[in-house]
Amino acid sequence: MSRPAAIIGVGQTKHAKARADLSIPGLCREAAGRALADAGLDWPDIEAVVIGKAPDAFEGIMQPELFLADALGATGKPMLRVHTAGSVGGSTVIVASHLVESGIHGRVLAVAWEKQSEGNAQWGLAGGRSGGIGAGGAFAPYIRAYMERSRAPEYIGWQVAVKDRLNALKNPYAHLQLADISLEKVKESPMLWDPIHFLESCPSSDGACAVVIGDEDAAAATPRPPAWVVATSVRSEPSTFPGRDAVRPQAGVDCAHDVYRQAGITDPKAQIDVAELYVPFSWYEPMWLEGHDIAGAGEGWKMVDSGETDLGGAFPVNPSGGVLSTNAIGASGMLRMAEAANQVRGQAGEHQVDGARVSLGQAYGGNAQYFAMAIFSSTRS
Amino acid sequence: MPATDIAIVGWAQTPAVARTDATEPQLCMQANLAAIAMAGIERSDIGFTCAGSCDYLTGGPFAFVQNLDAAGAWPPIAESHVEMDGAWALYEAWVRLQHGDIDVALVFGSGKSSPSDPAELYPQQLDPYYLEPLGLDPASIAALQARALLDTGRATERDFAEVVARSRRDARTNPNAHVRDEDDPERLLAAPYTRNPLRAHDVAPVSDGAAAVVLATARRARQLTEHPVFIRGIDHRVDVHQPGMRDLATSPSTADAARRAGLGDAPVEVAELAAVSSPQELIVRDAMGLGDGVAVNPSGGPLGANPVMATGLIRIIEAARRVADGTARRAVAHATNGQALQHNLVCVLEGES
Amino acid sequence: MADETMMDDLVTLTYEELLPPNTVRFAEALVDGRILGQRCHVCARVYVPPKGYCPLDVVLLDADDDVEVSDRGVVTGFTIVAPVRYYGQTKTEPFVYASVLLDGASGTLGGQDITGVPTDQVHAGMRVRAVWKPKEERTTKGQSARGWGNVEGCISSFEATGEPDVPRAEFEEHVI
Repeated sequence: MSRPAAIIGVGQTKHAKARADLSIPGLCREAAGRALADAGLDWPDIEAVVIGKAPDAFEGIMQPELFLADALGATGKPMLRVHTAGSVGGSTVIVASHLVESGIHGRVLAVAWEKQSEGNAQWGLAGGRSGGIGAGGAFAPYIRAYMERSRAPEYIGWQVAVKDRLNALKNPYAHLQLADISLEKVKESPMLWDPIHFLESCPSSDGACAVVIGDEDAAAATPRPPAWVVATSVRSEPSTFPGRDAVRPQAGVDCAHDVYRQAGITDPKAQIDVAELYVPFSWYEPMWLEGHDIAGAGEGWKMVDSGETDLGGAFPVNPSGGVLSTNAIGASGMLRMAEAANQVRGQAGEHQVDGARVSLGQAYGGNAQYFAMAIFSSTRS
Repeated sequence: MPATDIAIVGWAQTPAVARTDATEPQLCMQANLAAIAMAGIERSDIGFTCAGSCDYLTGGPFAFVQNLDAAGAWPPIAESHVEMDGAWALYEAWVRLQHGDIDVALVFGSGKSSPSDPAELYPQQLDPYYLEPLGLDPASIAALQARALLDTGRATERDFAEVVARSRRDARTNPNAHVRDEDDPERLLAAPYTRNPLRAHDVAPVSDGAAAVVLATARRARQLTEHPVFIRGIDHRVDVHQPGMRDLATSPSTADAARRAGLGDAPVEVAELAAVSSPQELIVRDAMGLGDGVAVNPSGGPLGANPVMATGLIRIIEAARRVADGTARRAVAHATNGQALQHNLVCVLEGES
Repeated sequence: MADETMMDDLVTLTYEELLPPNTVRFAEALVDGRILGQRCHVCARVYVPPKGYCPLDVVLLDADDDVEVSDRGVVTGFTIVAPVRYYGQTKTEPFVYASVLLDGASGTLGGQDITGVPTDQVHAGMRVRAVWKPKEERTTKGQSARGWGNVEGCISSFEATGEPDVPRAEFEEHVI
């Protein structure tokens, strides 16, 4: 009842603080056009379009997919707009994969984007009111709680910040290209939301990402290797309730175990070759390593400390530079999936992890309450 | 069409009102609890939940997050959300159920239109570079569409008034509708224009409400109810956004969606159409090729109550209700998204054959 | 040809929403110097402010479920926010944003300012009490149908009481 589906094309924009050279439709088409070309397809080959982006108030357009239908070749086709907060880029890929796995469509285009220079995400995150705390302000207390629980040394956050920006130097699409990044620079950068420093935080980016998902026939016809979607899962929990563990959310644990089970993975650290995890503030790398049971309780920071999560390490995390190097909020979740897929397709260029066959893509959103995860493989099962 | 038959086994809607003091999550919880009760399931039976709502309508970024409280998301659930009418959340759940690993899904749609002024809000839904700066309000766009239809000679203003009159008469007997106004076509025609050639009554009211539906795979549906309502076909298509670039007097996306949903395979007795203006009903009827024998909007339709983001899901509910109670053997429901029928969904429903 | 690449399009949208009964009762009690919570009649958790339902048991709650909670409690988590400029922002100095677990409540009151100690001494575990505005100055400002519960019209901050800290284990579950 469930047919195989694969990511057969990936495209993304050159992400930047402001892409003043492109309108919003132009931004989306840059990514979508690249994904189509990568898949060896053209606009008429696509049967359905799924669009994902973060809150519409970020750019001030209500349901922008309606006006983007024209630019994305969606007219005359089914179009869906997914909105699951920060995880949306990930859940959009998952919704698109279901359209193929169900047998309803053979080739689906998924697009996610944010043009933050044409709006004000800080205003949006504040709900238009004074005293907004941004995303960092919401997560800072959880990060502090993790630091206290795990007794991790304070430099772990700086280390992740440096690692991801060095990885980004090998990713021509990444927004931040900070060749002179160092632990010292991160430590000395201004405090934004105690204990998060400026250089431990994601940038604000304009960017779009697109993937083409195809069925077996489409995968067989595509010029480059496909990334088979062997497992997907979404889990949500309420944003606040008495007794909620926001540091290690149950939804994140359940989501991970669901994808591992579907993929036949019993030892994620050993059986997954590379992971693209949604890390917008550096401490989330050890937090998600533990939160998805890749590392045991209190052990996530040690994977960072020992260099395991470096590009050349035993469990590379965010070889693309991750959200810390590019954060067009709606697109970030899809970029995780796209980059994870590219790893097993051997299409990651300079930030390719050698021999990657199984990868994990993860996105989270809201008050660390929405999770979208997928496992990609270079083989069908 | 995929192999797995999916049926509607439960539903509920909050009585739509012009203005409520209940919060949107409270409305959603009322609808969800009632739909779950009608289906006779436990919350733990639900394998996937999908919601439809619109942040800009609710009035804040991430507004949809609050509605998760109504979904029973603890322990954590497999759940998603579309920035669209609940009818599309139903579509996503229908797709998800094809997987075969779960057999029950909960869908809900909600919206409070009362806090905002449509003329101020909906221009934000238009092309931000070329249309939004014009401040083009939805009633004006509806009027452009009405004029386009009148100019074809296929309809008259009297036809519009008769749609409104019939809808209001039917809305009187629908406890979930709230419009209880003038229903005499002559007096309707005597009312002044608000956006020539439309009058105030030609456009759907402002309403607050929520609705929920429980879906189940065929095997499970038959265990749960004696009257499962099967989704025989469901499809949706989007048209060009720019109103100046398409023929507003027709709806090719509706016609295409209807064809692909198999509407033409057999006659229907009931059609619930999410036409939010009187001329739209005529355009959608035409696009679907509905004959005179079809009862259109026996619920009163959106002209009787229009809780945006639930309106389309409610059309599915009202059509399903009439299949389940035997009024119709086969029915069709329509939902729309965007202005002037830009994006349309068609769902064909049938009882057990 | 002009070099225009950006066009400002400032939009104001006004939403007028009726407050739900649970928020009206919360606001009225606040003006009266009392903090209302709501106890779920299934799980007995006390939510502050009342939401009109329990999201964990998925049951609707009403005035019969209202309970009063103390105006004293413990800081369970916090950050110090460096304000960012955006349209509508009025903050200019770094401000404390803390979650306070009031005695008798199961859920925290978020977004509170902590006073009575220098900012760099704010820490989770510290006992605090509400600093009420004088009765004649109290308003229902900030109440809305959404959000974590606004007390800003009646309570200006929570100040340190000087009592011994609460052990982490007692509030670990309530970081948010």
